[in-house]
Formats: sequence, structure tokens, C-alpha cells
Amino acid sequence: MLKAVIFHETELLCGVKHLDHTPDITTKQSTLIWDLPLRLFHWAMVSVVFVAAVTGYFFEEWWLDIHAYAGYALGCLLIFRIIWGFIGSYYSRFQTFPLAKQGVIAHIKSLLSFKPKEYSGHNPIGAWMIVILLATLSLLVITGLVLYGGQEKHGPFAGLISFNIAEFSEEIHESLAGILMTAIAVHVAGVLFETVILKHALIQAMINGKKQGADNPKAPTIWHTIAGVTLFAGILLGGLYLATTPSQSTIPSVQNETYKRECSDCHPAYHPSLRLASDWTYIMKHLDDHYGEDATLNAEKNAEITVFLQNNDALSFDTEVAHKIGRISTPSMRMSDTRYWKKRHHEIDPASFKIAAVGSKVNCNACHQDADSGHFDDAKIKPPVGVKS
Amino acid sequence: MKSILLLTASLLLVTQMASAAPLDDYRAQAKATDPSFSDFSAEKGKAFFLENHTGGKPETPSCTSCHTKDAKAVGQTRAGKAIEPMALSVSPTRYSDKDKLEKWFRRNCNSVLGRECSALEKGNFITFMQTQ
Repeated sequence: MLKAVIFHETELLCGVKHLDHTPDITTKQSTLIWDLPLRLFHWAMVSVVFVAAVTGYFFEEWWLDIHAYAGYALGCLLIFRIIWGFIGSYYSRFQTFPLAKQGVIAHIKSLLSFKPKEYSGHNPIGAWMIVILLATLSLLVITGLVLYGGQEKHGPFAGLISFNIAEFSEEIHESLAGILMTAIAVHVAGVLFETVILKHALIQAMINGKKQGADNPKAPTIWHTIAGVTLFAGILLGGLYLATTPSQSTIPSVQNETYKRECSDCHPAYHPSLRLASDWTYIMKHLDDHYGEDATLNAEKNAEITVFLQNNDALSFDTEVAHKIGRISTPSMRMSDTRYWKKRHHEIDPASFKIAAVGSKVNCNACHQDADSGHFDDAKIKPPVGVKS
Repeated sequence: MKSILLLTASLLLVTQMASAAPLDDYRAQAKATDPSFSDFSAEKGKAFFLENHTGGKPETPSCTSCHTKDAKAVGQTRAGKAIEPMALSVSPTRYSDKDKLEKWFRRNCNSVLGRECSALEKGNFITFMQTQ
């Protein structure tokens, strides 16, 4: 049973009215608190954050596209929410958030008492929760875009962010994700506490917008719905444009026909950024025993290919693969012996490298569809049937 | 109709000549080395192809290490790439480019046998593949 409430409007210091519980069924009424755009925002946020979190935490690298799309959607939603915080209906506006210290203290005291107050809009702790959630989510989108630009060379920051900055941004992005998960847990726990223990119908209010016995000095109108939907549609169009515009590739395309023709009979013509110039020089000098085979070339072709490889080595590229594999020399001269290679492939069943569609650990193209270009995008990994992990 | 037949016939002749040319060179070389040489043997070529050789690199004891025992089958390099079948009936242009042919005989004979192959061995090999 919902408690019947009466509210004698008491202005708190922060300017938000709150309710006291006094049984009096006659004055109970439903008031529209949350405008429709805000409610749509809330539940859209729930689904998008769910997709982003699941793809980010549990899915293989090649789901990065979906994670990135969720990130773009999140960005659009956040921009909408921030603007809505200034032009939305009464309780959507940040200025009505009861963030003042005194209000928070009063709220905590009321929770500790046996007669907790029910607030019309956000309660002080809830308001702080929203601030923390919005700030964390905004930082997640920003660090995600920096990471996407610097590491994958995609998105609006492609070409503007170096790989090293992206690496740093990745650390922050991951920490923020942890903070977000904690904040969501606290948020959900708080809502469940109020719903189950205090019998405040918070979830219902976020669905139909109404709270029983609440007070709204400026109730939302149809115009809020129209304005909100128009605003969001505009932001979404901008976001779609950004997400679907192919980013200017910052990885120069390098090619040498002789290299491709002569070296791709036995193995993929590895992108020159996969090795340092000194390693290429060594390899080209020792083609008579090339990983256990004679791969000698005539002097003219050898010289041409050597120069091409030296001029486009790992130091000439700012890609993830150039940093993590190309710039690392191993005594065996095998890419598959670099720590990064092992780390990224350790979940793959060793037998999978022997199936006909793969053949060996150095047949990168079997799974990395863009290996020839040196990109090695996470989203371009498509393991053939039979690869187990 | 007549002209089409003529065209087909000449085309066939051209391809025949192209694929025969390197083999003729090997025949001349084999004759020069050994005056008693009469012609290449598909049988010997087959034995050479299937044999386990010594002297080469341990990873590749035989032609079949990569090309498989079936000349009509697709092989696989140690790095994982597919190798077109060796049989002429499946890969008609395989033995027509002298430079390419020499490059691969040089590399693979060295990998498998640890030495260059003789004109006789190369000729026998191609003759065997022509029968496949």
C-alpha cells in the first residue's frame, strides 16, 4: 500500500519543496514531475550504457564498432541532457537540483530518522548522483573518442591524437568505466531502497512522469515534448553525420609492386610498419636462410625491396601495431614472439593456427582483413570458421 | 567457322610453344652435360617429387612438404598461404615463365636438397607434371 501523504510546502534552503508524510488520503494527487524528453533520455541512456558496458567488458575486440556506435549515441544523449538542463521543464533544470550542503545534510538526517522526506524532484543525494553520472559519462565519451582517434585512427580525433596519448587515455577510460559501474550500482541501490523500503514510487515516476503528492510549480507541457524531441533529433543528426563520415585515414598508404609480387607468394606482404629498419635490413641480407627456407632474390630486386622497407618502417607509423609489434625486436625475429602479439592471441586455441584457412601464426590476413594496409583495426578482425578461442 | 578453328589452333600452338620453351632449354642443357641423354622421364620426375631428400633444410625434406603428394591438390606454404597445384592440367601457365621457374627451382632445390638441381632433374620434374 502506498502511504497517503499530505505535503505542507516547506521551502528548503536550496529552493526545492519537499513533502512530509502525514496520512491524509484526501489531498493525495498525481503531479507530472518529469517531462517526456527527460524520461526518454533516461531509458535510452540505460540501454546505450548497457550496450557500451557489455561490449566494452565482455566482448571480443571485433565488437569495437558496436562499442563505438554506443559511444556516439551516448555523446548525443549527454549533449541533449546538458542543454536540457538549461531549457527543459522545471525539475529537468540543473538550477533546481538540490545540491547545497545544507540540503544534503537535511536529507541524510531525514533518512536516519524514521520519517524520511519525499522530494518532488530529485532528492539531494539523488541530484549528486546525477551530477556524478553525467560527469563520468561525459569523460568516458571524451576519453573514448581520444582513444578511438589515437589508437584505431578513427573518429573525429583521428590524426589529431598520437598513439601515446591514446594509450594514456585508455587507462583513464578504463578507470572511469569502473567508477561508472560503481556509480550505477549506488544509483540502482538508492532507487531500490527508496522504492522498496520507503515506498516512494521512483521507478514508476521515471516511466509515466508522475509522482503522487508531489508539487511542480511549472508543470511540463506539450511544448517541452516538442522542443525536446526536436532538439534531440538535431543532435542525433549531427552525431550520425560524425559517426558515418569516414575518418580521413592518417596512415599513409605505402606500396611497392616488386615487394608485393616477390614476397607474397609464401606469406602476406607484411606492412613495412611491422618491423624496424634494422630488422628489415637483417632479414633482407639473410634471405638464403629465411625462417628455414631459401628465399633469395636477385641483387637488383633485393636492393629495391630493402630500401622500400627501410623507408617505411615501424618508426614511420603511429599505429598500435607499429608501436606494439613493429618497434619491438625479438631474438627469434618473429612477430609472434613479441609480448604484445602473445597477449592479444593467447585466448586462441593453438590448433586453430593449423587449420587450412589460417595455416600459421604469421598468416595475419587470415583474420585481420585489413592487415595489408597496416591498420589492424579491432573491428576488421573476422576469424574464419574453425578458429576457436 | 574455319577462321575460329584456325584461331583456336594457333592459340593452342602458341600456348604449347610457351610452355615447351623452358623444357627445351633444359633438354639442350642436359644433352650438353651428358651426350648419351635421350629424353626426360616422367617416372623419374615422379620419384624425385615424392622422395625424401637429405642435405636441405630440416623443415622441408621433400617437395611434398608443401606441395602435398597429390600434384593436382592445392599446397600450402609454411607461412600458411595456398600454393596452386603443380599439375599442368590444373595450372596450365605454371611452367611457361623461365625466370619464375628458375627462381623457384633455385630456392626450393636449395631448401629441399641443399643444392641446385640439374637440368635433368628439372626436366624430369616438369615432364612428370605435364602428365598430371
